[in-house]
Amino acid sequence: MANSAAGIIFSSLNINTLSRLTGDRTVAAIPFACRYRLVDFCLSNMVNANISNINIVANYNYRSLLEHIGSGKDFDLARRESRVTFISPFQSGASASSKMFSTHMEALKSMREYINDFKEEYVVMMDSDNVLNIDVSEVIKSHELTGADITIVTRAIDKSYSAKHPRMMLSSVAGKITELALDSAYNERYPELSLGIFVMKTVYLRHLISEAEAFGLNSLTQLMLKNCKSSNYRAYKYTGFVASVSSFLDYYRYSMELAKCEQARESLLWKKEAPIFTRVHNSAPTVYSAKAKVESSMIADDCVIEGTVINSIISRGVRVEAGAVVKNCVLFAGTRVGKKASLNCIVTDKAVDISDGVTLSGNENMPFYIQKGRKI
Amino acid sequence: MYCKKECIAMLLAGGQGSRLYDLTKQIAKPAVSFGGKYKIIDFPLSNCINSGIDTVGVLTQYQPLALNEYVANGAPWDLDRMRGGLSVLPPYQGGKHSDWYKGTANAIYQNINFIKRYNPDYVLILSGDHIYRMDYKLMLEQHKRTGAVCTVATITVPMEEASRFGICNTNPDGSIYEFEEKPKQPKNNQASMGIYIFSTKTLIEYLEADEADENSSNDFGKNIIPNLLNNGEKLYSYKFDGYWKDVGTISSLWEANMDLIGEEPILNLAEKKLRIYSKNTARAPQYVGAKAKISNSLIPEGCRIYGTVKNSILSGGVIVEEGAVVSDSVIMDDVVIKKGASVYTAIIDADSIIEEGAVVGTDGAGKDNITVIASGSVVAAKKA
Repeated sequence: MANSAAGIIFSSLNINTLSRLTGDRTVAAIPFACRYRLVDFCLSNMVNANISNINIVANYNYRSLLEHIGSGKDFDLARRESRVTFISPFQSGASASSKMFSTHMEALKSMREYINDFKEEYVVMMDSDNVLNIDVSEVIKSHELTGADITIVTRAIDKSYSAKHPRMMLSSVAGKITELALDSAYNERYPELSLGIFVMKTVYLRHLISEAEAFGLNSLTQLMLKNCKSSNYRAYKYTGFVASVSSFLDYYRYSMELAKCEQARESLLWKKEAPIFTRVHNSAPTVYSAKAKVESSMIADDCVIEGTVINSIISRGVRVEAGAVVKNCVLFAGTRVGKKASLNCIVTDKAVDISDGVTLSGNENMPFYIQKGRKI
Repeated sequence: MYCKKECIAMLLAGGQGSRLYDLTKQIAKPAVSFGGKYKIIDFPLSNCINSGIDTVGVLTQYQPLALNEYVANGAPWDLDRMRGGLSVLPPYQGGKHSDWYKGTANAIYQNINFIKRYNPDYVLILSGDHIYRMDYKLMLEQHKRTGAVCTVATITVPMEEASRFGICNTNPDGSIYEFEEKPKQPKNNQASMGIYIFSTKTLIEYLEADEADENSSNDFGKNIIPNLLNNGEKLYSYKFDGYWKDVGTISSLWEANMDLIGEEPILNLAEKKLRIYSKNTARAPQYVGAKAKISNSLIPEGCRIYGTVKNSILSGGVIVEEGAVVSDSVIMDDVVIKKGASVYTAIIDADSIIEEGAVVGTDGAGKDNITVIASGSVVAAKKA
């Protein structure tokens, strides 16, 4: 049945690991793949599954997130029967101290009254730091079919995996989760990584919140670890492209993968039946001059390309002037690369200005970041 | 509910554009794609909002489906307003009469009630056939300054082409003493752009008189303007000196597209001043493959380029596969040009497929030999 699930998106609960990109924006508002922000993937996954009551938990600097989503119109969420609501920390009459939503559970506890009013049978929760294009209605269907308490979307990992901070990992047998753990490195006992997408019945979520309140627990993960053995938690293994952005280096590597790998683009961006929505701007087509040379790159509108661009992700309104060379770079909106400048393995934040003739280079394993608005 | 407006615009968008042949078989001319992300009607609508005019009646008639769908509530041009905004005005059935729009003047006449709702001092008459950027505010200021009852926007055209236009013969102060529709021997080269500002009272008066005249062809250029002059009314020309192009033919449509590219494009759409707005979609960013070669071209979001594109204008969602060549061409939305196919000097309408190895057009054919492929066509390679 359509509209039978409500959505909750956590915009920023792992802020410490992406320090450079989250200097003045929340994780969900980090630009990705030229024209998107991380939250677009969560919102689109939900909208494409007909979820029309979407709630975004926003605590860390969320100004750019508010600006990006606006009324929700560009996501078709500004209708009488569909909406996007921001949930932020607040002070209340009952207690003098306000909670800053430092964990999922802290936010959920504050939303308690509100969640009690949800009419939808299911709740889909998502973290915004996993970027994927998944058919959520299939996950809900599988959840219904298996009668699970919680269905967690996972992907297989191998020993190449590492994260700066511990993430939820697990093992499952025929979909039934047998062990759940928190770890930052690969452990063969837990060959699956949680993608931060949880499906459960709304009543079950209410029950979890009550339990957390009763035990004085402030962490959903702790609660799930405690309950894993006695509950029916199930894994839904996703096999398409996933960018798990847990560090700046991750961010850079997944951006490069999008520039180089056709399957990644197909899985994330080119699904005809599952478009990714984003805030639309009025922009002119990108201009390629007579001397432009572009290879293996993804480019947004409103750019002017007069130089060379190879293996790069170029956002809206970027100017690569004559004789400039941009290689293995991620350039955010409004970056100017001056004449004969040369960039390799660089990530520029918005409106960076690289003067004529400047040469800058990072390394594939240590890309160089230039902060918003800097002139070099 | 209807508040007074100083000036409202009436945009004549019912034209068939029969000289665009296959391109307007199923859509009205103002809905024809232009410049990669635009439709012709984006230009007058954007000009309106850039000139501070927030109430626009769009008069549709010929094949209005695509046009109606596109303009919808006017949101892309910021014309979705509580008061005013964009209204689509199709011909309608009335108690006494029910008529198609017989001519430009009759179309406005049938919508006098729409005009009266806003009680405007001035009415700006526009057509949806031209590519240009213009600040109508400046024209309105002149209209007020001169105290004219009607101001006609004019542009200098080459003398040898003047006989194709309505020509304004003016006194040194800009007042018009004679208006000749397509004269055999034009006295000068100041052509009417089909853009008029009327003082509302005079407009309604003349439209009513024109309607009562059974011999009239109900046309602004042929009837209304000459009648005003015959009655000694005060008409002025407003000289416009920017880019203006009638895109009523295949070659002029192709040429206008080509004016967008080159070292110093004659018409630069990236310019922020008097920006042209269009309905933007959430297509994926464009992707340029490892073997692609792109030069001197405009490419918008949704395109995937693996072959060669030069001197061309592509619209959203076009796919150019490996080894394919697109040169001196205008490619509209979602066209697929398959491996090894070549497209030269052509306009390919939306959703067409150029099959592997097919060749469309001739390299260097020039503006008078444009190959046109109708929308939804499948062009296969010639069998050897």
